[in-house]
Amino acid sequence: MLIEQCAYGNRWRKVAPAAKGLFCLGGFIAAFAASQPAAAAAVAGLVVLITVLGAGVPFPRFVRVALPPLGFLLLGCLSLAYSLDFQGASNDFTVLWLPSGWAPIRQLAARSGAALAALLFLALTTPMIDLIALLRRLKMPEVLLEIMVLCYRMLFVFSEALHDTRTAQAARLGYATPRLALRSLGSLTANLTLQIWQRAHSLHIAAQSRNNDGAFRFLEPEYAHVRRDLTIAALGGALLIGLAVGMP
Amino acid sequence: MKPLKHQPSHRRTPVSSAAPDFTYLSPHGLDSGIRRNDEILLAFEDVAFRYPDGNTGLDGCSLSIVRGSRNALIGANGAGKTTLFQHANGLLRPQKGGIRYAGRAIDYSRAGLRHLRSEVGLVFQNPDQQLFSASVREDVSFGPLNLGLDTETVRQRVTAALQAVGMEKFADRPVHNLSFGQKKRVCIAGVLAMQPQLLILDEPMAGLDHAMRAELLAVLDELHARGITLLLATHDIDFAYRWADRIHLMSSGRCTSAFAAAELPDNAETLSAAGLPVPGVVELHRLLVTRQILPAISSPRSLAELIAQLNNTQKDFQ
Ligand SMILES: Nc1ncnc2c1ncn2[C@@H]1O[C@H](COP(=O)(O)OP(=O)(O)O)[C@@H](O)[C@H]1O
Ligand SMILES: [Mg+2]
Repeated sequence: MLIEQCAYGNRWRKVAPAAKGLFCLGGFIAAFAASQPAAAAAVAGLVVLITVLGAGVPFPRFVRVALPPLGFLLLGCLSLAYSLDFQGASNDFTVLWLPSGWAPIRQLAARSGAALAALLFLALTTPMIDLIALLRRLKMPEVLLEIMVLCYRMLFVFSEALHDTRTAQAARLGYATPRLALRSLGSLTANLTLQIWQRAHSLHIAAQSRNNDGAFRFLEPEYAHVRRDLTIAALGGALLIGLAVGMP
Repeated sequence: MKPLKHQPSHRRTPVSSAAPDFTYLSPHGLDSGIRRNDEILLAFEDVAFRYPDGNTGLDGCSLSIVRGSRNALIGANGAGKTTLFQHANGLLRPQKGGIRYAGRAIDYSRAGLRHLRSEVGLVFQNPDQQLFSASVREDVSFGPLNLGLDTETVRQRVTAALQAVGMEKFADRPVHNLSFGQKKRVCIAGVLAMQPQLLILDEPMAGLDHAMRAELLAVLDELHARGITLLLATHDIDFAYRWADRIHLMSSGRCTSAFAAAELPDNAETLSAAGLPVPGVVELHRLLVTRQILPAISSPRSLAELIAQLNNTQKDFQ
């Protein structure tokens, strides 16, 4: 929900999503093209700076959104740092610390960091609805898009249903003891499953009543300065790639 | 459908009435219940429907809706209101009896249903059932795009429909950030964008607070002034008496009776047979007439009207 708030509240809401997507792509390419970890780190820093200063996403909020993926990144690095070494047929093994030195870890962290920054830039400045519209224009298969649209919408319907049912259970002491909690959780799941089924059915009926015959079609939003935005984004992306490749 | 300019209604029109795109007005000007033409738009003839699990949905229901009129369908929970509406839109098919739209029996072929659903718009009771796109504009565009209209026309219709329900400012908002009342209005816009002749609303007032009801009512008045025929389900007899031209009663799958709302005071027995109270304003007015405080000329339809009558009589006395 934090991402949602940023995506709708940032300064670049009205910028064409295609431009933001292009810039994000530039960031990605830069992240993978970076010859040195320092170059990738510079790309990451620059993209974060642009997100915070340019699009006006508050820095604390940015950090909060970035923390979970950074955690995963850390885990990934740790698994690179250790490695298990089995010796022959015997059952004993040794744990090796840094079998191949710091270099691959630094490389991984910096590159992933840059890619993450680019992705967060897109996610924090572009609402899901714009992204879906963009993907539609990029000729992503209709089926995938429909699933995305429905999932996105259902996410909110169900988080509401889940919340309501849970609250109702808690109000009747459903979670007072671990035993009761497990029981409540079970009936919650059963209840939600039924709700999902019913919802899917009623959604289908509602779509039919508005003359739907299978394919979902929606109107695409229009943006004022697509050309201009795209040019700026292309320049920005090229700059990032140049920085990544050119840095010694 | 001949596009015909409609006389501006005397009813209040708080929502912007600049709607260039709604030129599909009914040729039958109709105001405050005075019918100039009694063309039946929708007719149920002895319709019966039983759900697969054996529940009775409709049980020999007959009902007719006059073009351009405001209709309230009153019935307890489980009376079959939703089932009836789904029949009107062609979602369910009668197992017995028949349904006529604009004088013709409903054609259940693909093309026939397509036509019917573009003429009869159905707004569901639960907005979350109907809204499934992420943004307001996208959702409203869903119906007209299904009609096969070109992008430019759809864009115009979406704007006009959002204007008609006073939601144009929210066009680019995500649906899940809206309040319940706003979601309801988006649902109505989504159906309006298909430009129906008959708009059916399933318990539109349920779950709305006082202010939201007033807003929705203003929207409905505006639509009625544009010549759209309205049919809505409600439990609220006071509201039905105040708002509707015609009241239809329903219980356990049967359409038990129908009368002009103005004749409601004469139908007290029918109401009580259906377990419904007589509207408070009717009883109060009756009492005031017996006490000779008010003359027995016209029955007020709402407390506000009654108070206005009382005020006028006071002036006469002085
Ligand atoms: N999908 C369904 N399957 C089985 N029975 C249903 C279904 N929907 C409604 N019913 C039954 O049909 C009857 C009429 O329901 P409904 O039309 O929803 O009434 P209302 O809208 O007036 O509350 C009820 O007895 C209800 O239990
Ligand atoms: Mg119902």
